[in-house]
Amino acid sequence: MKRLHLILLLLISPIFAMSQDDGIKWYFDLPEVSIYAERPIKEIGVQRTKMDSIVLKENIALSVADILTFNSSIFVKNYGRATLSTVSFRGTSASHTQVSWNGMKINSPMLGMTDFSMIPSYFIDDATLLHGTSSVNETGGGLGGSIQLSTKPAKEDGFGLQYIQGIGSFKTFDEFLRLTYGNEHWQTSTRVVYSSSPNDFKYRNHDKKENIYDENMNIIGQYYPIERNRSGAFKDFHFLQEAYYDTKKGDRFGFNAWYINSNRELPMLTVDYGDATDFENRQRENTFRSVMSWDHIRENWKMGAKAGYIHTKMNYDYKRDLGNGVMAHMIQSRSNINTFYGQMEGEYYIGDKWLFTANVAAHQHFVESRDKSIIQQDGNQATVGYRKARIEMTNSISAKWRPTERLGMSVVIREEMFGDEWTPIIPAFFIDGVISKKGDVVAKASVSRNFRYPTLNDLYFMPGGNPDLKKESGWTYDAGFSFALGREGVYSLSGSANWFESFINDWIIWLPTTKGFFSPDNIKDVHAYGIETKGDLEVILSKDWKLSLNGTLSWTPSINEGEPRSPADQSVGKQLPYVPEYSSTVTGRLSWKSWSFLYKWCYYSERFTMSSNDITLTGKLPEYFMSNIALEKTISCKWADFSIKGAVNNLFNEEYLSVLSRPMPGINFEIFLGITPKFN
Amino acid sequence: MFKSLKSKVERLRSLSKMLVVLLSCCLVVFSSCMEWDYGLEENFDTSTSGEGLFICNEGNFQYGNATLSYYNPETKVVENEVFYRANAMKLGDVAQSMIIRDGIGWVVVNNSHVIFAIDVNTFKEVGRITNFTSPRYMHFISDEKAYVTQIWDNRIFIVNPQRYEITGYIDIPNMTMESGSTEQMVQYGKYVYVNCWSYQNRIIKIDTETDEVIDELTVGIQPTSLVMDCNNKLWTVTDGGYEGSPYGHEAPSLYRIDAETFTIEKQFEFKFGDAPSEVQLNGTKDKIYWINDDIWEMDVTAERVPVRPFLKYNETIYYGLTVCPRTGDVYVADAIDYVQQGMIYRYSKEGNLLDEFYVGIIPGAFCWK
Repeated sequence: MKRLHLILLLLISPIFAMSQDDGIKWYFDLPEVSIYAERPIKEIGVQRTKMDSIVLKENIALSVADILTFNSSIFVKNYGRATLSTVSFRGTSASHTQVSWNGMKINSPMLGMTDFSMIPSYFIDDATLLHGTSSVNETGGGLGGSIQLSTKPAKEDGFGLQYIQGIGSFKTFDEFLRLTYGNEHWQTSTRVVYSSSPNDFKYRNHDKKENIYDENMNIIGQYYPIERNRSGAFKDFHFLQEAYYDTKKGDRFGFNAWYINSNRELPMLTVDYGDATDFENRQRENTFRSVMSWDHIRENWKMGAKAGYIHTKMNYDYKRDLGNGVMAHMIQSRSNINTFYGQMEGEYYIGDKWLFTANVAAHQHFVESRDKSIIQQDGNQATVGYRKARIEMTNSISAKWRPTERLGMSVVIREEMFGDEWTPIIPAFFIDGVISKKGDVVAKASVSRNFRYPTLNDLYFMPGGNPDLKKESGWTYDAGFSFALGREGVYSLSGSANWFESFINDWIIWLPTTKGFFSPDNIKDVHAYGIETKGDLEVILSKDWKLSLNGTLSWTPSINEGEPRSPADQSVGKQLPYVPEYSSTVTGRLSWKSWSFLYKWCYYSERFTMSSNDITLTGKLPEYFMSNIALEKTISCKWADFSIKGAVNNLFNEEYLSVLSRPMPGINFEIFLGITPKFN
Repeated sequence: MFKSLKSKVERLRSLSKMLVVLLSCCLVVFSSCMEWDYGLEENFDTSTSGEGLFICNEGNFQYGNATLSYYNPETKVVENEVFYRANAMKLGDVAQSMIIRDGIGWVVVNNSHVIFAIDVNTFKEVGRITNFTSPRYMHFISDEKAYVTQIWDNRIFIVNPQRYEITGYIDIPNMTMESGSTEQMVQYGKYVYVNCWSYQNRIIKIDTETDEVIDELTVGIQPTSLVMDCNNKLWTVTDGGYEGSPYGHEAPSLYRIDAETFTIEKQFEFKFGDAPSEVQLNGTKDKIYWINDDIWEMDVTAERVPVRPFLKYNETIYYGLTVCPRTGDVYVADAIDYVQQGMIYRYSKEGNLLDEFYVGIIPGAFCWK
């Protein structure tokens, strides 16, 4: 049956491919669909997936990790709600995806990756995925690609307020408040999200058994216990202040400040036999990010400047009760990161055939990591950790040329600096062309080189940091086509298929050492390749009925092509662990008057947990399908709009795992009530 | 009236249309169910095979994929995942060590905070002791008393193996929870000696009658293992710490310590940057073996380290080592890349390769039946 299901999906996915607003020439306006009249010269050959506001504002309980799971070809690895959520873009590792917020890079300089569970989707107004080579247009180091997250002016006139309350299973509460004010020149917005839950969902633990003993301590019975998710509570608070000023004479100023206070327990493994009340495993994060921007726009040129600052304080505590009520630290890890950011960019058009761009961005990191307190041999106390500063720069120039209406070419030259080391030139070349005006069939191709420098932990972490690491390097090739069809007021159908091929050398992996700690090394050469298809169908069935279907289907082998580590090494030529070879998503929306029904579905093929791709009893992650639904009703009255939404997650109560030994919740529910007063 | 009825009918039609579409959507996914195999217990009986070797495969930290393998040296047959197959449940997260006493194997599963007791012939669980801080090794004092060492704890746990209970603690002087580390144990008379490893430099001596630390001996930085030879000499090897460690970084050494006087008799210093580990004894306890890139062998009475290794480095990092107490065959564990099934190489005592077999992820510890 599963195979039948997959075949069905294969058939429908390319048809109902996902929203992609590049490569569309004609204009057709449906609510919530933005289709551009021209292919922007800035995006010649670019493979881009854009998440629209309907996707991002689906419900307040979602993080960007959830959005990516159900709406993109990216594989999200997580342990459930409010747990570390990292991504694998085109079969690469989490640190191979570069993430920016309003232009400022937010990948951790210590770890290289971004925790997407820490980004509420209601705080993001625009999310764009740049696949593979396309990321070189914006930044370096995105060996898999990049994700650009940004906020936008609310375009309000006068005061606005929106409040949404969510109440869900496992005593989960989500609250969202947004206050806006706008006039001709000013737009301000204040957003607050607060989420909390003991997150103690029940599940049947098939990884352990409970014993029943007789009085002589002989086992007389065993059973798989129904347990609660232990140590999974979270309290996350987010505050976002924005202010925008538009002179209406070509100058725009922006200010964004985002504060995060997160207090999360780290859930216990399914194979943990410790008493949850005797252990505390907690991560607390305080992060402040701010960006100021200025854009100066003229008829044929534009320049902009940005400045920003990030402060992150991350505390990790692992404690146990000594039996007298005193919780003693086993691990007490502290890290502080301060990052200063500056960027200048310019664009210059010559006629409508040429565009030249230049961009300089710098991030100065100051990092302090304290991992452990020890007693030295002389009896004094000392701390195991490191303190380092590093400046990172990325500079690019590009020339984009559209000699005819049907053809476009673009060259990007990028160079990056990490500390006192410069990468070789990173070149990228893009080309696209209209194959057929009927159906707006556009072909695209691109090629780029890329590099990623080791993170500060890779180089300096105590113990294990390896200052002799080389940078990772790679070549990526992309080719594909897109199409768009439609009839005004009836339907629109667009889709794309893209082939890619990446060769990544000197892939950095952390491995155990004989001294009991982990240490990174340039181990692998990886060949990641595959096909991504996406599509979007919008149909107006009748005056009151609208239907939209979005889908993605990806095939992403990611193969280790390095040298064998030893004569017994079986990993060469095999798929990387935890990277699914196939993944797919389908989202359907059906609306009737003020009612709307949402159905989300995603599929991940089996993930190997071993580099040798062995399937063992204790090490397999079976394929899984996930289905969520939501039904929403909006009520409009004279003085306010109201909304009520019911959501069901894991509709078919699947027992599934994203990561070994991490329980995931079964079917669960949440109700959202929203109010938007009409002040005007 | 008629108009209103018509509108109601229209509405009903619309609703039924919506329901049809919803049901169609749901049908697409109804076939989607994952398959899990639960509760299939396999019956083993190795009681007739005599000698056998258990291999503790640590698995990956935080992934709960530790496994137990069993190898029959006579038939050269290995059975992997025997704990899971016999008990239909996972062994846990980081299988650290195993010892056998009276037909019961005690498997210490570090990050699962548990020690499983299994029948060594059927691999079936017979009991478990839970709620340790981070257990490393177990040592029996008597049928009713055993010690369990810990990392990230400044106490050694005292347990009653018959009741599967934690009964008490031995506090280790001058050690904090955060940098706490007690490791392998050997017994000489009523005294148990323990090497203290992570950010430590000493061997402690415990009186098993009072369960108190009564003495300690300073050695080099981070002694990794501890054995006692036929002459009642303790052997430990230090790893020397690491570059940049606030605890220090020095050339590692192999130490011979007299158990009676609890003094260092001999120190064999290695090159700075070496990382020796896994000191092991043969069956007659007159030869020691250890890993230092290559596999080394030395008489317990030797006054200098041999010039040539017993087995040469084979383009991999050896992770575990044991010597068959009966035949003297040497078993070496290769964890390869630490995320695939590791390989065990079996050599004769002359250094000839006799067999090789795959086990689980990161084979780190052995236990002879």
